[in-house]
Amino acid sequence: MKTLHLPFDGGLAARSQMAEFCTGAERLTGQAFQGDYLRLHRWACEDIQTFWKFFLEWTGVPFSGSSLPVFEGQGIEDGRFFPNLRLNYAECLLRPLPDVADELPAVVYRSERGEREPMDRATLRQRVLAIAASLRKYGVAAGDRVVAFARNTPETIQACLASAALGATWSSVGLDLAPAGVLSRFQQLEPVVLFAHTELPNHGVCRPVNEQLREIVAGLPSLRLLVLLGGPEVGDVGRDIEVVRLESLLSTEPLSFDELERFPFDHPLFVLFSSGTTGPPKCIVHGAGGTLLEHLKEHRLHSDLRPGERLYFHTSCGWMMWNWQLTALASGVSILLYDGSVSYPDATALLKILNQERVNVFGTSPAYIQLLRESGIEPRSLGAFFDLRAIQSTGSILYEKQFDWIRDFFKAVPVHSISGGSDIIGCFVLGNPLLPVYRGDSQSVSLGLDVRVLTDTGVERTGTGELLCAKPFPSRPVFIWGDPNRTRFHDSYFAENPGFWTHGDLVELAELGSARVLGRSDGTMKIHGVRIGPAEIYVVVLGIPGIREAMAVEQEDQREPGGRRIVLLLVLAAGKVLDREFTLRIKREISKKASSVHVPSVIVAVSELPQTHNGKYSERAAKDVVNGKKPKNLLALRNPSCLEEIARLVPPTG
Amino acid sequence: MDEQTVKRVVTEWLDDNYHFGDAATLIGGDEDKSFLQSGILDSLGFVKLILHIEQTFSVEIDRKNIVPANFDSLQRIAAYVCSLPGARLSP
Repeated sequence: MKTLHLPFDGGLAARSQMAEFCTGAERLTGQAFQGDYLRLHRWACEDIQTFWKFFLEWTGVPFSGSSLPVFEGQGIEDGRFFPNLRLNYAECLLRPLPDVADELPAVVYRSERGEREPMDRATLRQRVLAIAASLRKYGVAAGDRVVAFARNTPETIQACLASAALGATWSSVGLDLAPAGVLSRFQQLEPVVLFAHTELPNHGVCRPVNEQLREIVAGLPSLRLLVLLGGPEVGDVGRDIEVVRLESLLSTEPLSFDELERFPFDHPLFVLFSSGTTGPPKCIVHGAGGTLLEHLKEHRLHSDLRPGERLYFHTSCGWMMWNWQLTALASGVSILLYDGSVSYPDATALLKILNQERVNVFGTSPAYIQLLRESGIEPRSLGAFFDLRAIQSTGSILYEKQFDWIRDFFKAVPVHSISGGSDIIGCFVLGNPLLPVYRGDSQSVSLGLDVRVLTDTGVERTGTGELLCAKPFPSRPVFIWGDPNRTRFHDSYFAENPGFWTHGDLVELAELGSARVLGRSDGTMKIHGVRIGPAEIYVVVLGIPGIREAMAVEQEDQREPGGRRIVLLLVLAAGKVLDREFTLRIKREISKKASSVHVPSVIVAVSELPQTHNGKYSERAAKDVVNGKKPKNLLALRNPSCLEEIARLVPPTG
Repeated sequence: MDEQTVKRVVTEWLDDNYHFGDAATLIGGDEDKSFLQSGILDSLGFVKLILHIEQTFSVEIDRKNIVPANFDSLQRIAAYVCSLPGARLSP
């Protein structure tokens, strides 16, 4: 039985941009949606051509060429949206907007060191276009890859938008990722420019990252230019490349929008990464048009963000929510950036800033909510949060009791539990002003995304099972880097259920229209909101003498922030013992070569790992038993009896 | 309950969860060293450590008492836990 998080606010629904869009769609189609989201959604999925064209026009984004045809091609796997349309992502974000004063902050930077630096839209535009002019002089051109090892600061945003203005493809990671992890991603892209910070302030300690930066530069032979975004000089990078500071790129006469080229709708804009159970991280390439349209839809319709409102989403540059919050500039929204630890000098630090900056929509994670709750902090006692009107959460499951805590101890506002991922650079399930919030649920599936569920009886509109998408959508990746035959692209998303996008999430779709993501259906893990591919752990531990085989799986544990932890199962060489010293060495190696989030909470030695008859390891079977579930399809396993040992050594928590 | 036992449990926990064998080196013999200021532990880490202490010593810690004065060094944690009535190593 579902229960409401808050009484439904019909007035808010009627005044929302979703309601306005719904009325427009009624006029266009002659249909009577009458503010019923489920009807609107059904229409958008059944007539994707009319829906996406109408939405494009409704947003008012500048483009050249024609919006016809809306879609061409065979279907969800190979079709293309808007093949005759051209746009420039940076122009769409930075252009003067009729409802937004140019003096309004585009970005407000706050740091744990107490700094506050607002930057208005005009200044941001001018700086981006000056940096773009400089990069052009350095020979950066459309199609080049530009990467960043960076913190979430205004400088990183400027670097990204300047690159996008020229049609370069941007990819960024945070400073917490170890050089081996950075190189396993960036080496595939053969970038020409690297933007980087040289120090990481975190929790009162400012740690230089020069050593890591030099290792990264040494591993990227394609680099021609290193641009320092902030921090002390890097010193000798050991390579004959030019090293400049971002400020030096600002002295060039800014380009004008007229001097910027507009690129095809599918032009590669961002590369995001996803690591699976085998091989190097997958480089997911997202097109400019698909990213822009999906984000505009999520910001304006689902989040009801309006010009002049203030958005804060807690993210690093290595997570897709960084790209997501960036696009909010296209809606005239002001983005708050926070650089540092959310709990420095104490656990209330970020909350005080949210209150001071009058944030309207606050994006966070269940891990942060749990941190506050476990610390005994009541945000409502710190300030009124007058302007806060929605809290968004993603990264892992937000449980019902966490909805209650937000309402009772933070503020009684709608909670949007949103979920999607790097693969679609957006959300499948999220908030919705036309619908009530049920505790523990996402309010709806995203407009125009034909989300279905693969249940025991087949592909359904409601029920529990694998999350599928049945119709083409613009934010589908345009390709996977280094996959010329589209084999990896096909295998990643379409091989399992031909004709459908298979996302890799388990979901429950309710009759009421709400949804609940239940976790991953494949081997990838989400720990503290960070998506981790077991392969990233295997590459480290299989290099340690004495370890023959390894398997990492996620185990639910309500005591952990984020509700999950990593269990590492090892088969050791004959005579090797997993004592305390060896366990600590394994953890240390993983922390050093991957990241601290990759470090397992539990490491056990087992005699065998579950394998299929053709020798493939089955993370899914091991994950089922450590979570107290009956493994599916035991007949597919060569050695099902090994699961008994795993269940005995790693019983379910709680 | 003696302070040495608490210190051993906390150091082992720091090793298992954050510093992987380097906790004693980081503390460097200075048992009054601030965990927060020296980067030995952040606030999220404190939450996890407190849950571990509650389980290990069979105590319930009032959230109002989770303040640096009680938890921001090895010595402070040991003294605070030993002051709790009924603190004992869980079987």
